[in-house]
Amino acid sequence: MDEQPGLSDQYRMASPWPLFVALGIPIAELGILFDVFVVAVAGLLLFCGSLTGMIREAGYAETAWRPLAVFAVLLFAVGGVLAFTDVSLVTRGYAILTAGGILAAAGIGGELFVPKRDPV
Amino acid sequence: MQITGQLTLTVLMGLFLVIIAAWLARIEDWRSYTPLGSGGAAGESGYVSQEKPTGISRWLTTVDHKDIGMLYGAYGVLAFVVGGLMIMVMRVELLDPGMTLISNSFYNSLLTSHGITMLFLFGTPIIAAFANYLVPLLIGADDMAFPRINAIAFWLLPPGALLIWAGFFPLGDIIPAQTAWTLYTPLSTGAGGGNQANAGVDLMILGLHLTGVSATMGSINFIATIITERAEEVTWANLDIFSWTILTQSGLILFAFPLLGSALLMLLLDRNLGTSFFAIEAGGTMLWQHLFWFFGHPEVYILVLPPMGIVSYVLPRFAGRRLFGFKFVVYSTLAIGVLSFGVWAHHMFATGMDPRLRASFMAVSMAIAIPSAVKTFNWITTLWNGKVRLTTPMLFCVGFVSNFILGGVTGVFLASIPVDLVLHDTYYVVGHFHYVVMGAIAFAGFAGLYYWFPMFTGRMYQRRLGKIHFWTWMIGSNITFLAMIVLGYGGMPRRYATYLPKFATFHQLATLGALLMFVGGLVWTYNFVVSWLEGPRVQDGDPWNLRDDGMYTNEWQWFQDRQETAITDGGDEDVVADGGTEE
Repeated sequence: MDEQPGLSDQYRMASPWPLFVALGIPIAELGILFDVFVVAVAGLLLFCGSLTGMIREAGYAETAWRPLAVFAVLLFAVGGVLAFTDVSLVTRGYAILTAGGILAAAGIGGELFVPKRDPV
Repeated sequence: MQITGQLTLTVLMGLFLVIIAAWLARIEDWRSYTPLGSGGAAGESGYVSQEKPTGISRWLTTVDHKDIGMLYGAYGVLAFVVGGLMIMVMRVELLDPGMTLISNSFYNSLLTSHGITMLFLFGTPIIAAFANYLVPLLIGADDMAFPRINAIAFWLLPPGALLIWAGFFPLGDIIPAQTAWTLYTPLSTGAGGGNQANAGVDLMILGLHLTGVSATMGSINFIATIITERAEEVTWANLDIFSWTILTQSGLILFAFPLLGSALLMLLLDRNLGTSFFAIEAGGTMLWQHLFWFFGHPEVYILVLPPMGIVSYVLPRFAGRRLFGFKFVVYSTLAIGVLSFGVWAHHMFATGMDPRLRASFMAVSMAIAIPSAVKTFNWITTLWNGKVRLTTPMLFCVGFVSNFILGGVTGVFLASIPVDLVLHDTYYVVGHFHYVVMGAIAFAGFAGLYYWFPMFTGRMYQRRLGKIHFWTWMIGSNITFLAMIVLGYGGMPRRYATYLPKFATFHQLATLGALLMFVGGLVWTYNFVVSWLEGPRVQDGDPWNLRDDGMYTNEWQWFQDRQETAITDGGDEDVVADGGTEE
């Protein structure tokens, strides 16, 4: 640090995703708790989408499509439990399943139809 | 009609997501100019650029620990002002037993919100502010171990605050929660004929849950940072005292907050989805109290350990001596951390729990006095024969020690079962914990704010105003909280919007002290705002002349390096481009 004072200031640290991960959580929670279908779906999309963006940015995945599909599977599991088991929170379950469906469509569609870019 | 509502909401949410996507696309556009993933630029991080984005985007997208520290600080200070204004309204209401400035139920709402605001929206974040800014600098790390998680942890707080305060906003039928910050069941489950089944309580619980998630994420980050990111020359043997307290505090958060989160979820399920965790015939009233206080008591130490760290760090700088018994201060910190999980039932002595259990909780509670006293004596012995300089941060440190002794000794009395049974639920308890949370924790926070103000802002505050602030607060807090202790001995119960006329004098004294602190608060706000904007610029990296006593530390060295770099290449956005002639 002493040879190059102030170097750590040049590690530009900026990412647009954390803000939206943090917004997605309360929106999804509010939607699910108060059983407001659209809010729950939008919150989950925001949350999972931002997490995907962050995973890609950090280099854990090359494209966004597979993480999206993974989140879809997780949402299907949770939504399925709420909607089709004895828990019987049907509308909330369907909201989560819908969000999962949209994510799955994006993930599978992206994987199949979006041309792969060469690495920069 | 309902269909139209649904449709509107759908369109709104869709629009919301589209706006976010559009904004992200713009940000991504800017990002595409950076050498992302090319591995060329610098070091391991791979995404390096010469500058941060400008304007508001910088603050919304930052993952730099110093920026996030500033955000935490701004947030904590704002919450402190909100919580302070709430209590001023309440204290004015208590000037006279017949006062009708606000309704009794609004008083209850303010009481609930004041507690939660000060503990969760001011206390925890202001500590995170110091820790984020300073810990990486003190231990020689480039940043926190998980910078993005750090940003997520901060951004969970503003929605949390909005939810906690939601009842105060004009939102249809939603009313503020009146459960007090302890959320005791069955009141908080919405049972019975009261109005606490209202959605305002759900929103507050959700907000509280979010702040808990935020604190947990932050704590994991601090543990990882302090354990893995230390520079080579920073060993466990010479790790500074502030980082030690943050490490201990993070451990406490890691064990305590997830439990609060689970208990809050159970409460939400009870309220909304028909479960019966806390129903009288199931868990009963005691289950919530055990769960809550198993979190709640460590929370007290979560709030007090880092401020103790600040005092242990700052006080020696102005005593011209190294901290007396450093090792034992660290051991005491760790001891308090461990013991704090074994005392929770002292909040429940009056519930009729098993007397044998009660005795063991009394013993452990009293045992905490030992490490606390070790620290107190070490601060005093550090001052002994020292070259004491009574700067504003030093005054706040000394004020901390004084108030902490008063708060601590009244706490030892309360830990004793027979005394507690007499004083339980009276103003004595209120006086005791305010001596600690306001007289000690907030004082240490302000010691830190004044001490590092030159580093945070590059400017110096007005010293005279700083001292006026200290004395109004020192005198004000002692008038208010001593009056509360006396009221408690007289039998004045907590949490009431009115009282018997015989308590009037001491309530008026308490309000007088609060007004004094309000004036001090105005002085402080003026001082910080004006000094930040046009205070004299700090000329070197040693505004406190620490080098004279050999007390210079890493973070000021970093500050000096940054100033020197800025002057050579004009690269810092804080310095004007023409070489800083703005003198």
